[in-house]
Amino acid sequence: MNEFFNKDIISIKDFSKDQLEKIFTSTDKIIQLDPFQRREICKGKTLGYLFYEPSTRTRLSFESAMASIGGSSLGISDISSSSTQKGESLADTVKIMSIYSDALVLRHPLDGSSRFASEISDKPVINAGSGTEEHPTQAIQDLYTIKKEKKKIDGLKIGIVGDLKYGRTVYSLLYGLGNYDVDVRLISPESLRIRSDSTYDIKKNINFTESTQLEDHIDELDVLYVTRIQKERFPDEEEYLKVKGSYVVGLDLVNQMKDDSIILHPLPRIDEISTEVDNTKNAKYFKQAEYGKYTRATLLGLTLNENGF
Amino acid sequence: MEQSELMVRRIKEGTVIDHIDEGKGLQVLDALRIDGQDGSLITLAMNVPSGKSKKKDIIKVENKFLKDDDTNKIAIIASKATINIIKNYKLIEKRRVALPNEIDKIFRCTNPDCITNSTEHIESIMDVIDKEGMVLKCRYCARILDVSKVKYN
Repeated sequence: MNEFFNKDIISIKDFSKDQLEKIFTSTDKIIQLDPFQRREICKGKTLGYLFYEPSTRTRLSFESAMASIGGSSLGISDISSSSTQKGESLADTVKIMSIYSDALVLRHPLDGSSRFASEISDKPVINAGSGTEEHPTQAIQDLYTIKKEKKKIDGLKIGIVGDLKYGRTVYSLLYGLGNYDVDVRLISPESLRIRSDSTYDIKKNINFTESTQLEDHIDELDVLYVTRIQKERFPDEEEYLKVKGSYVVGLDLVNQMKDDSIILHPLPRIDEISTEVDNTKNAKYFKQAEYGKYTRATLLGLTLNENGF
Repeated sequence: MEQSELMVRRIKEGTVIDHIDEGKGLQVLDALRIDGQDGSLITLAMNVPSGKSKKKDIIKVENKFLKDDDTNKIAIIASKATINIIKNYKLIEKRRVALPNEIDKIFRCTNPDCITNSTEHIESIMDVIDKEGMVLKCRYCARILDVSKVKYN
């Protein structure tokens, strides 16, 4: 039996390096498969999704991934039109959705929501973003992109810049990088530094430094991971305006980067990477989005098939 | 038995929780959900002199023998507390509290955005990941708790 069968995907911390590498190998395989063969992987299976926060990219990525392996998707993407508006609890909604589907994808504004949902659901739950806590499938996509584009993860210098306080992709990526031998530069405005109550595991596993100046590190990085300032999570608009536009990666900065360095972004971007950077050889964020479809197809294929694919 | 313990009457059968940090007695009662509703006789003494210029709280619960599973929950509030089991006026067991591997129900996660602080019906569970350093992590949101700010259920 494949070890991922029927398993929830709640935190990237639940995956060992060996397991991540197995997922990457399976992703290589799924990319190489003939589209007709690929569509056999989850034929007849249904993915249910519940998005309690707006999402275009992640939801469509999951839908597209499920379609590519022959399955179908159904769910709620606009919570204002659902019974949640009538006061239904998350527990009840999850229970009902697990009747209709073979696996459940959940995005919710509260930390720990996916772990709670996994206790309620008798079908595997996949965390598609839980508050500011985690976004594990994004991290798997990010790690896979690094591996594909840099041919390795160990030994790299990785800069993560932007909103490190509220960005859940940052935490999942750091937890995932904890499996590798990397040097990390965390670059953010003072008020958006990484949360001290979430760094216990990170400190144990990763060498990192913190700074506010991207320019000080730009020429030493192999990977620059840029994140959006999470406007929606600020307690008040004024605080957001103070840090809005703190870092903008333009051609001037890209020209200072190593020739073979890569720029990633979980998307959507607002203004933190100028569009003029899109056509440089360093820009890999759209490629990263494409890999996301395949890593998600892989995760669904492994979760829903006892013998893998 | 110490002089300080004699300030409140001796009990024939039950549990004496001694060496509670001064002022923490009410929290300990709260955490152990001891509220006297079952009719048992409970004595709480606060600010009892203990050694040189020190004070402590003491709780005596009659006709109840508190087990490890219960009393260890208070290790985070009163790490120096001792549990004394009394039978027929005699001390038959004395033990220190020790942090268990997990603490459930007794206090809430300090992260306001944790699902356990929502309207969903969830009981909090804290994993003790470092007993010596008293590091607790919420099993749901995975944040490290600020032990000084925990709120009791």
